[in-house]
Amino acid sequence: MTDPTSPLIEINSVTKYYHTTAGAFPALQGIDLAIYPGEFLGVVGKSGAGKSTLLNMITGVDRFSSGEVQAHTNGKSISLSQLSENELTLWRGRTMGVVYQSFQLLPMLNLIHNVMMPMDMSGLYQPVKSRQRALELLKMVELADHVDKYPSQISGGQQQRVAIARALANDPPLIVADEPTGSLDSVTADHVFEIFQHLVDEGRTIVMVTHDEGLLPLFSRYVTITDGQLTGEGGQP
Amino acid sequence: MRPRWRKVLSDLIDNKARTILVVFSIAVGVFAIGVIAGAYVIISQDMGVSYAANNPSNIEIRLDDFDHDLLNTIRHFKGVKDAEARRVFKLSLRSPGETRWTSVDVVAVEDFQENAINLLKPISGAAEPHKEQILLERDVLEDIHASPGQILELQLLDGTIKEIQVAGIVQDASTGAIDFLSPPLAYITMDSLKFFDEPDLFNRLFVTVASGQDDEEHIRSMLADLKDKIEKNGFNVGRTFISKTHQHPLESTINAVLGILMALGVLIVFLSSSLIANTLSALLNQHLRHIGVMKLIGGRDQIIFRMYLVLLLAFGLLALLIAIPAGGQGAYALAQYIADKIGFSLLGYRIVPLSFVIQVAVGLLVPLVSGFIPVISGSRVTVQKALDGVRTQSSGGEDQETLEGGYRFEHFQVKATRALADRGIRIPRQLLISLRNTFRQRGRLLLTLFTLTMGGAIFISVFNVRITLHDYVQKIGNYFLADVTLDFERPYRLEEIEQYAYQDPRVIHVEGWAYATAEILLPDGSTAENITLLAPPAESDLVSPMLIEGRWLRPTDKKKLAISEGVYDYYPDLRAGDSIPLKIDGKEELWEVVGVFKFIGLEGVIGYAPYEYISREKNLANRSYSYRIVIQDHDRAAQDAMAKDLDAYFRAQGFHVLEATPGLSTLDSAAESLDILITFLLIMALLTATVGSMGLAGTMSMNVLERTREIGIMRAIGATDLEILRMVIVEGLLIGLLSFVLSMILAIPFTYLLSAIVSNAIFATPITVIFTPLGYLIWLGLVVVLSSLASILPAHNAARLTIREVLAYE
Repeated sequence: MTDPTSPLIEINSVTKYYHTTAGAFPALQGIDLAIYPGEFLGVVGKSGAGKSTLLNMITGVDRFSSGEVQAHTNGKSISLSQLSENELTLWRGRTMGVVYQSFQLLPMLNLIHNVMMPMDMSGLYQPVKSRQRALELLKMVELADHVDKYPSQISGGQQQRVAIARALANDPPLIVADEPTGSLDSVTADHVFEIFQHLVDEGRTIVMVTHDEGLLPLFSRYVTITDGQLTGEGGQP
Repeated sequence: MRPRWRKVLSDLIDNKARTILVVFSIAVGVFAIGVIAGAYVIISQDMGVSYAANNPSNIEIRLDDFDHDLLNTIRHFKGVKDAEARRVFKLSLRSPGETRWTSVDVVAVEDFQENAINLLKPISGAAEPHKEQILLERDVLEDIHASPGQILELQLLDGTIKEIQVAGIVQDASTGAIDFLSPPLAYITMDSLKFFDEPDLFNRLFVTVASGQDDEEHIRSMLADLKDKIEKNGFNVGRTFISKTHQHPLESTINAVLGILMALGVLIVFLSSSLIANTLSALLNQHLRHIGVMKLIGGRDQIIFRMYLVLLLAFGLLALLIAIPAGGQGAYALAQYIADKIGFSLLGYRIVPLSFVIQVAVGLLVPLVSGFIPVISGSRVTVQKALDGVRTQSSGGEDQETLEGGYRFEHFQVKATRALADRGIRIPRQLLISLRNTFRQRGRLLLTLFTLTMGGAIFISVFNVRITLHDYVQKIGNYFLADVTLDFERPYRLEEIEQYAYQDPRVIHVEGWAYATAEILLPDGSTAENITLLAPPAESDLVSPMLIEGRWLRPTDKKKLAISEGVYDYYPDLRAGDSIPLKIDGKEELWEVVGVFKFIGLEGVIGYAPYEYISREKNLANRSYSYRIVIQDHDRAAQDAMAKDLDAYFRAQGFHVLEATPGLSTLDSAAESLDILITFLLIMALLTATVGSMGLAGTMSMNVLERTREIGIMRAIGATDLEILRMVIVEGLLIGLLSFVLSMILAIPFTYLLSAIVSNAIFATPITVIFTPLGYLIWLGLVVVLSSLASILPAHNAARLTIREVLAYE
């Protein structure tokens, strides 16, 4: 059992600079944040505030300039800065599911193969088992009737549900979502939130980035970010 | 199937145009290398076997008429395995109703059943002729349309025309092989000689040696001993030839030519690999987002690398499916073509294991090697960059350099444009955009330029080499400046021949030439090589030699000769003024070399000595067997007509004419042989051009595909379809023209290199390189057309998309 009072992810004094021709640009400045098991954490900020950069630090998709990010998963503590790109990839594949605004499905694969892909990559499931699991996940997101379709043959909302099913493929404790409803209409967005709420109820941890302050009531906790700094916090972990 | 392999399969199938481009790029190189390697193996295996199967003579000696006594002497000579004697004489043949005569060498064979040397292979009809019938070697069919049973007309030396029946068609892979420029052959029985007004005597000896049949030194020493023996028996020896049993006389030449083709084949593989590298690099650029997604969901470098490696192997396997069968057929067709031209038989169609292995290795390794760097860099890209669609740039130093490079170019472009504008020259905005676009993907541009430039340089070089070889043949023609050579069976006085020849108003000059044969001796007294000594009058204008050193002949020269550079094979340090030992008429003499000149090395060593000296030594002062005649017009048609008329006229006057030969006939057949080689080279040049144009087409479609969104934006702000089309085509043309300029420069060393290799293979001597604008002009035209065509399709596709589609493009 995971201790809900000890954090899943700890971010300590993280800064991130981007080098441009105009000089070094600080995208994140001294971020301290802890993510606890079972919470639905919102990272809220305007465009360019640094929320996606912060998400990239959590997923290990990008490297921070200074500070540290520690993950306490599967009974082990890992410092992300100590991991190579390959180790980070393996860790990410097994520990978290990532959902993007633009879905990022592979267009040449049908839905079931898109969902099976993380299981194939991580090697955690046998091919037959992974197919069963993918079917179950697609059923959970109410797309069981569309498993053989390709991403281009379904709507945006449906694609995002496939992305969520894919994020859950390796049964990760943490789901990270970057503006997952940004390109969806309100009805479809509500449906996605229902799924997220269901996952939180199951005990999963979700970190979601959004610019929409109207979504604050949906989060169990939220932090606001402005110009690369955390400027506010609400709700309870 | 696991999802990852399903993705690989989809990558292969979904973008058919790209797959076809990559597969064909590999297949072209594999095909070229397969054809050449296969032909090389087939020819080197079959040429020797086919040649040896006919039990070729190791020694051929042309001499005065002789009978069985001498033949028996030779048969019992120590070291001789077997000896046969034949009579060879010239006559003219034609189909009834034809006006043109074809000169053939008729070989009278004593017993076709017992024939054991230079065996004949029946092709059609009877294998041996009856009395007053004739067998034709299949080369005759190139000039005369004939088949077994057909009646042909023949003209004897005295001008009599008779009819003779064709008994059959045969192939003689041995007799003609030794003398590359000999006329086609026909065969009769000895008891038919009377019908041809020929004496029942032999004039050629064909000998096989008992041991050392592939030992050139031994055969040469046997020849020297046999010559001594024959001369001691009171016979004059004319030309002699030696040949190994298991090596076709032209094998080294053919192998050298195939070696050149092989080098070009390797170059094509090299070019196609740069095209593949370009295409794969673009493919990985297009797949960056996919790679990013796979990495996001746990795909490690090794997995991604393996997936793309399998994709590369799949490209290679598909290419092999096309190239191996096509290459096998092509190899056999090429070998068959060469075999037909040279006159030997192939052992039958077969898959050449070595060629198969090479093709498989090249087909799999080329995509792996050329795709390795793009795949490695693609699989190692970070998730962030992959999702952003940036492979080569990073947020660090590289990016800085790329940007600065781009800025520098922009800066230069702006400055140049302003400078031109100050002088009243305005460059249209679209041209500036095209110019900028051309240099945006510099790595891709370099690879495309490399492929297209190499293709162009080879193409241009082939035309230069062609003109260089033909120029050399023309220069060789300076040794044969007479329009007609008139040979007689017996010597006639110079005044007599001149008097008759000048009866024809077309004749403007007549010269009598003498000749002698000799052996060049090595310092130890052994025979190095036979030499034919031609003896024109020293002041003759009918020889314009290409002297390497020393001087030409003088009337007062005694025991002095000018010699072809083939002598360097035996006396590499020879200088004008040095003496070399010669054996003439059985006597060893020291002759001074007054000059060394260039000639065709394959034709052996020839020498020139003044008529004034040789004719006296041969007791033929003021007489000659052979006359050179100059006429008013020097074209082939005038020469043909003159040869025919002189032949008829002198025969009618009772002269014993042996042959009247147009001066250009020898050159024409040499030029024809060169054209075969040039055809091969041109095919290879076209293949390289194909690879180059495929490279350009690939680059243009990739450039346009990657700029689909930009094109949408341009259209959204008012650019018309025509403007988009023009912009893309101008970009393609710029690349094409840039490559043309580079090709022009690169063609210079290529021409020198290729000329040196080819001339050494064909003429066994380096030759002066000539450049022709023809290759440059054709390539320029091709580049313009290819560049336009390579750009039109992608440009058309880009222009056809709606703005909404383009802006939504992902």
